[in-house]
Amino acid sequence: MRVVHYLNQFFGGIGAEEQAGSGFAIREDAVGPGKLLENLLGGEARVVLTIICGDNYAVENQEEVTAAALAKVRAAGADLFVAGPCFDAGRYGMAAGALCSAVQTELGIPAITAMNAENPGVDLFREKLYIVDSGTSIAKMRDVLVKMASLGKKLAAKEVIGPPVEEGYLPRGWLHDQLVNKTAATRLVDMLLEKMNGKPFESEMPATAFVPVPMPAAINDLSKARVMLITDGGLVPKGNPDRIEGTAATRWGAYNIAGRDELRSEEYEVSHGGYDTRFVQQDPDRLVPLDAMREMERNGVIGKLHDEFISTCGRSNPLSNTRRLGREIAEKIKRDGVDAVILTST
Amino acid sequence: MQLTLANHPVTDIEFGAPARLEGTVLTIDSDELRPIVLKDDAIVSVDFEIAHPGDSCRAGPIFDVIEPRAKEPGSGADFPGILGAPVTAGIGTTHVLSGAAVSVLAEISPDLTRSATGRVLEMSGAPAEASAYSSLKHLLVIPHTKAGLTRQAVERAYRIAGIRAAVAVGRIALTESPRSVHQFDPIGPAINDRSGLPRIAYVGQIFSRQRKPEVDEPILYGANTDGMLPVMLHPDEWLDGAIVPSLHSWFGGTETYFYQNHPIILDLYRRHNARQINFVGTLATIAGSDNFDRERHCKAAASLVKWNLQAEGAVLSKYGGGLPHADLAETARLLEGMGIKTSVMVSDVSRDRRVESALLFNVPEVNAIVYNGGNGTHWEVPKVNRVVAATPEFTKLMTGPMTIDASNIVGVTNQQGASRMRAMVY
Repeated sequence: MRVVHYLNQFFGGIGAEEQAGSGFAIREDAVGPGKLLENLLGGEARVVLTIICGDNYAVENQEEVTAAALAKVRAAGADLFVAGPCFDAGRYGMAAGALCSAVQTELGIPAITAMNAENPGVDLFREKLYIVDSGTSIAKMRDVLVKMASLGKKLAAKEVIGPPVEEGYLPRGWLHDQLVNKTAATRLVDMLLEKMNGKPFESEMPATAFVPVPMPAAINDLSKARVMLITDGGLVPKGNPDRIEGTAATRWGAYNIAGRDELRSEEYEVSHGGYDTRFVQQDPDRLVPLDAMREMERNGVIGKLHDEFISTCGRSNPLSNTRRLGREIAEKIKRDGVDAVILTST
Repeated sequence: MQLTLANHPVTDIEFGAPARLEGTVLTIDSDELRPIVLKDDAIVSVDFEIAHPGDSCRAGPIFDVIEPRAKEPGSGADFPGILGAPVTAGIGTTHVLSGAAVSVLAEISPDLTRSATGRVLEMSGAPAEASAYSSLKHLLVIPHTKAGLTRQAVERAYRIAGIRAAVAVGRIALTESPRSVHQFDPIGPAINDRSGLPRIAYVGQIFSRQRKPEVDEPILYGANTDGMLPVMLHPDEWLDGAIVPSLHSWFGGTETYFYQNHPIILDLYRRHNARQINFVGTLATIAGSDNFDRERHCKAAASLVKWNLQAEGAVLSKYGGGLPHADLAETARLLEGMGIKTSVMVSDVSRDRRVESALLFNVPEVNAIVYNGGNGTHWEVPKVNRVVAATPEFTKLMTGPMTIDASNIVGVTNQQGASRMRAMVY
């Protein structure tokens, strides 16, 4: 097995922080932790090339460093690319993550790195890469390299990779179905009893924390504002012209309501499989309250109701998808000069 | 209240006359069963088939799976409030043909199912290993309803047909002596010989107001749950026909069979009988249609668990789709706030298989979560020798070979606690 190893200036033996600006360099054998790595990989494994780069240089010249590294890894005929371990060195982690990711995607060569869970490189690359949990202590170098070697061999051999706790990598955030022996009922009661007995228990799903959405500035004078209606309840014109899916929608549509005072049931349908749509079918204003908004417009409560409403379907929609839908819709709202939006859901 | 289950194991089902149980071989007389199903004017004809574990057989779409059971005369009503007077379930003796199932097929168009194949009963191969239903001996009931009925009326007819057939089959056991007789240890808030054991309650959703129930939709003792508040039930009531799934439940992994054999209740009973816990009781609750409704249900449920059941811990399960996760988490949050420890069970909602899409709540107190998987599993299934479907369209669709989603195999993503399909974080 031919291995290319990436190290920063410190582990590559060039120098400490004062050498962080040193540029892209190569050695044609194993350097520093690479020697132990080679040992642990065993058999025919050779570190045929070591790439060394200063942390600052790597982060500040990422494109150049990535291109140079890709060329070297390709030319070396590598079976495995290894970066680090990086422990809690943030710039090192980010460079290692970027290089592993590029080698994997561009060259199709398996890559592995190791970092502490708090390393910023983890958040950026955990979904794409196998990142061994290195902790923060360089004294644990050997333990970390053992895990990297074992996982690296499996990756190179295209073996099935087990769960994070078994293999020692940081959870990547992907769900894998697995048939287990205990029913959900038994696991549910087991977990409660462990919790009640003060024993350690592990929830089967961690909560994801989200960055809070900042509150926008208040509208000073609503009577001059242009207001738009948006719904994720799936109301679409008859025939669903944009083919908005009733589950996990990938599309949204904007529909003209200029000159109308209400939405007529014979002109609309609902593309949504997650709620009882009969009441909206009877009277679409129940979901997209055009009638009430027109009244507010007439009474001067709002300045103007925008001539289009936007609709999509919110049912079972993953965030990877809704982020894009939200961005696209927000761009349109900005473009159209809308001041305020009323979102109606189901 | 104490239910006695008289068990008659079944290892084989065959058609014949007269209907009888000989040893563990159940003989069903379809000519005798047919008029019982046809009592309902909505049904114009009915077919019966049999499927055994390991058969190269695929059946669907499955509307419901029911265990054939019958109350011993004088013990009360079968499915009270639906088939009989709304007397209390869970009293007296109920005969059980264990290992057997009566499964109802739906005669619908493929585009009304969640995906083209609807809910499939697969009797062999990898999907069969993942569903508890595939190890049962099934009498398949295929009712054909008259034209012009609403979808809800058709589904109601399926429900009634299924439980009538299951009771009729269950009655075959009444003349035989059971192989074993089982009683659970008494439970309830008044049981006082268990001091020191943790007091545990079960809170289970039985409906979600994502859809308004039909006026005549039987769910709890025949009531449609409209306007109901959380209600305390003895666990034996769940096991003995007080609750059936709502008419649309066949999209959501709830079947009558696992009310009769409720995995969570049976697990709590097992530990209660082993004197590991003090099982203090259960609540049946529903998921609200809006925040006001939700608050009313969750507050009422938490109060009952705290003040009436005086529980120290509670396990919670949900019903239906996405919205009920909110009710589940809010009830658990309120309970934790009252000092009652909780664990909750949710269904798989992550369609992109990312952890960030997995939970529909983020409540720090709700930190013990059992996660049913299924969205990431698809099986390549072969052509089978026998397809049992209610329409030629479905026979064609289900013949195979084809790819089928785990959530389309009945039982795999069950929400009553029977599922062994878990989504692991990788």
